[in-house]
Amino acid sequence: MKGPVGILIDTTRCIGCESCVAACKQANGLGPDRRWRGQEAATGLSATRFSTVLRLPHERFVLQQCRHCVEPACVSACLVGAMRKTPEGPVVYDPDRCMGCRYCLVACPFGIPRYQWSAAEPKVRKCTMCYARLQEGKLPACVEACPEHATIFGPRERLLAEAHRRIADQPGRYLPRVFGEHDVGGTSVLYVSDASLDFLSWRGGPDPQPLPALTWASLKRVPPMFLVVGGLMGGIRWVIGRRMRVAAEEGAAAPPPAGGAEQGGEGGRPHD
Amino acid sequence: MTDRLARLKTVLWALIGVLTPITVLRFADGLGTVTNLSDAAPWGLWVAFDVMAGVALAAGGFVVAATVYIFRLERYRGFVRPAVLTALLGYILVAVGLLYDLGLPWHIWHPIIYPQPHSVLFEVAACVMLYLTVLILEFAPVVLEHPLFDRALFRGAYRWLRKATIPLVIVGIALSSLHQSSLGSLFLITPARLNPLWYSPDIWILYLVSAVALGLMMVLLESVLAGVFYGHRVETRLLTGLGEAAAVVLALYAGFRVWDLGQRDQLGLVTDGSWQSWLFIGELSVSAVIPAALMLFRRVRASVAGLATAASLTVFGMILNRLDACIVVFQRPAGAGYFPSWMEIAVSLGLVAAGVLAFLFAVEHLAVYEGVGAAAPREAPGVAPVAPADAGGVRGLLPLRLTAARRYSMAALGAAALTVVFVPLSGPRPRPTPVQRPRTQHGVVRGAAGSPSHRLVLADAAPPRPAGDSAPVPLLLLAGHRDRMAVLFDHEAHVRRTGGDASCALCHHLDLPLDRASACADCHRDVFDSTATFVHGTHVAALGGDSGCAHCHAPGVAKTYATAAACTDCHRTPAVAHPVIAAPAARWRSAPGYEAAMHGLCVECHEREAREHPGEYPVAMTRCAWCHDVDRGPELRRLLPRVAPGGQGGLAAGTR
Repeated sequence: MKGPVGILIDTTRCIGCESCVAACKQANGLGPDRRWRGQEAATGLSATRFSTVLRLPHERFVLQQCRHCVEPACVSACLVGAMRKTPEGPVVYDPDRCMGCRYCLVACPFGIPRYQWSAAEPKVRKCTMCYARLQEGKLPACVEACPEHATIFGPRERLLAEAHRRIADQPGRYLPRVFGEHDVGGTSVLYVSDASLDFLSWRGGPDPQPLPALTWASLKRVPPMFLVVGGLMGGIRWVIGRRMRVAAEEGAAAPPPAGGAEQGGEGGRPHD
Repeated sequence: MTDRLARLKTVLWALIGVLTPITVLRFADGLGTVTNLSDAAPWGLWVAFDVMAGVALAAGGFVVAATVYIFRLERYRGFVRPAVLTALLGYILVAVGLLYDLGLPWHIWHPIIYPQPHSVLFEVAACVMLYLTVLILEFAPVVLEHPLFDRALFRGAYRWLRKATIPLVIVGIALSSLHQSSLGSLFLITPARLNPLWYSPDIWILYLVSAVALGLMMVLLESVLAGVFYGHRVETRLLTGLGEAAAVVLALYAGFRVWDLGQRDQLGLVTDGSWQSWLFIGELSVSAVIPAALMLFRRVRASVAGLATAASLTVFGMILNRLDACIVVFQRPAGAGYFPSWMEIAVSLGLVAAGVLAFLFAVEHLAVYEGVGAAAPREAPGVAPVAPADAGGVRGLLPLRLTAARRYSMAALGAAALTVVFVPLSGPRPRPTPVQRPRTQHGVVRGAAGSPSHRLVLADAAPPRPAGDSAPVPLLLLAGHRDRMAVLFDHEAHVRRTGGDASCALCHHLDLPLDRASACADCHRDVFDSTATFVHGTHVAALGGDSGCAHCHAPGVAKTYATAAACTDCHRTPAVAHPVIAAPAARWRSAPGYEAAMHGLCVECHEREAREHPGEYPVAMTRCAWCHDVDRGPELRRLLPRVAPGGQGGLAAGTR
């Protein structure tokens, strides 16, 4: 594979046949659809459905699945590295590392991962861009199954070029924006569409900010903060201690001691 | 022991009793059974209260340690031991609470071997683990003072630990300030989901500052409660000091929170009248503004009751703050709610009860509070009969004559027994989505068969009988998947065209046992997935039980599908239930998914007819839209079972 790969979905070509969904379910061995509480629509993503075709008004169809972000929030959130961004592009999951904290479900900007809530050994479930199939040199199951070539696979750079070419060739057919080109720092699953797909994200609008950067801005302060707080505390204790000693010595030299150590500490009340 | 204390302990033991069966259920049957969690609400009460609020409530340990050891305000030394004990127990409870909440609790140690330092949660986990170790070392001397440990080895450890106190305290403060703030940083990655009144790029400052104030107020409240239950008295002056310090921090907290909103131009949200704005105002008032304002009054400052009131408000308000951010104002898909199940609440309460009981045990057997327990002048530790001095006014659930141990055992066992009655034996399982059987609708046929304008129209949707419409006919609504591309199917017209009654077998290839004209959905039960249709048990019963094996399986050969006799060996004469098996042999034992079955039947035939009778049938008959009339989609979906507003999928605005 040359460079990170991705998927380009052209919603104007999708006829809503769900061949991709059927192929996805088969390739991942997901079995019959089973819904969990909080999931009202039979056709929503679930632990038994990694991809689904959403219907928009005016008979538009949108294949919803993991976006395989270029800078994935789930990967950044996972404290044991169970979520991993592969060099090829797909974001994959390792159940042997997972603790089951569900921070990935909380963090995902597109609300994609699902959990096996009633399982004895629950796991996070989501699309892996058929990573195992890719390694065998096959296409992702959804891409292979699409009868209309609405879903195509290739290096992300070439897909982007193709997306822009389609928009330029038929400006009336598409919105002038490749969904996923810049959103949350870019996603490996891209869309061209004649209707806004902003509803796919919690943000509900374009946001080029990669989410892991928000965390890192705070997290990078941790080592210096540890040293500064530690040093500060040691320093304050030393300074106050010294003042107390001096005060005690002066007290011993001249007037009678007032309250002993208990009155010590000219640091005043804490946190003043 | 006072009557009051005995009652408190009885209640606490009862809560432990409630906790026990739920614990068994949680680990035997999974998260889904005891919680109301879902993909829409992946974090619930256990994360919000047991972890988020739990860590903040335990902040007193590092705040008081800093006060006494760093700022050297020796007069507060009496608060150090209870505060460190609270912190120690609090963090143990956080760890235990996590064991309940994690999906794979036996992987709880994985952060040690699979560290992922870009995760805020890893930072929290690492700090909590280290700080728990520090707390154990900080509190160990108190345990080692017990006569039980009066040996040379322990005396050495004791001396060493006492010497290490200052470094431990400093490391503890640094670790605490890091993870207290990082609990807030957990939300940095969800800028779109957390309500802007709670979200802030500087949320970590808010979490740290609020934890400091909360820690002080908790220590104050505990001290007052120790007075109520153990007659422990501290100078009110010291409590006032704690309260005043907390008030200053609370004022800083409230001020920073409002300033931060203003600086991000979000102040308008505070007064926009939405329920979130009222929640924000209420939460900030109860947690910070009112307690801080109360401390302005000398009467409140100087009275234990006043101080306790202010502290209680802060404790309540800050717990609410953590619940708000985690649950209440954290965006969910439209229509998806979350409220903790009674078992989630019982687990949280039970863990708190366990913590309080451990605290009381330590207070009674170790030198935690001056003048109480091991620090008391006399009074031997041990189980004393709970015979209060004022036995005349005894009221309680159980007779106080019983020894303490017996009384508490009865409370716990009784509560456990009662709980067992109420807990479900097993929880909900994910619901399958069955294929819908066709339903009869009344419609009309518009346009001549085979003409491009030919279509089926629902009767109630049609204008009153335009010319060319047929008389109303029954039409089958093939809805398969509830909200997918439903199809109107004129069954009668197909029967007429394909040869009357003799043509049934063109489509209807197999019936269920003892059934005629079984619906397609009876075997093709899932839209996508093929379903096993061979029922071994039915055959065993029909062929004479255990003696019937030889009908299909040869002796001495492993009994599998592959080695069994062919189905057509029997299913070829009308003497058996299902004589007709039209499908290829490879498909006998399983039925393809509904969609594949329908497409297989309809498309194949439409294509053949259009090919072989081009004059009679239009080519359009082979296209999707011939049956899946896209213009008619909304009209048909109206007839299908309702789905919730979120049914379109996506993440339509939830709590914002």
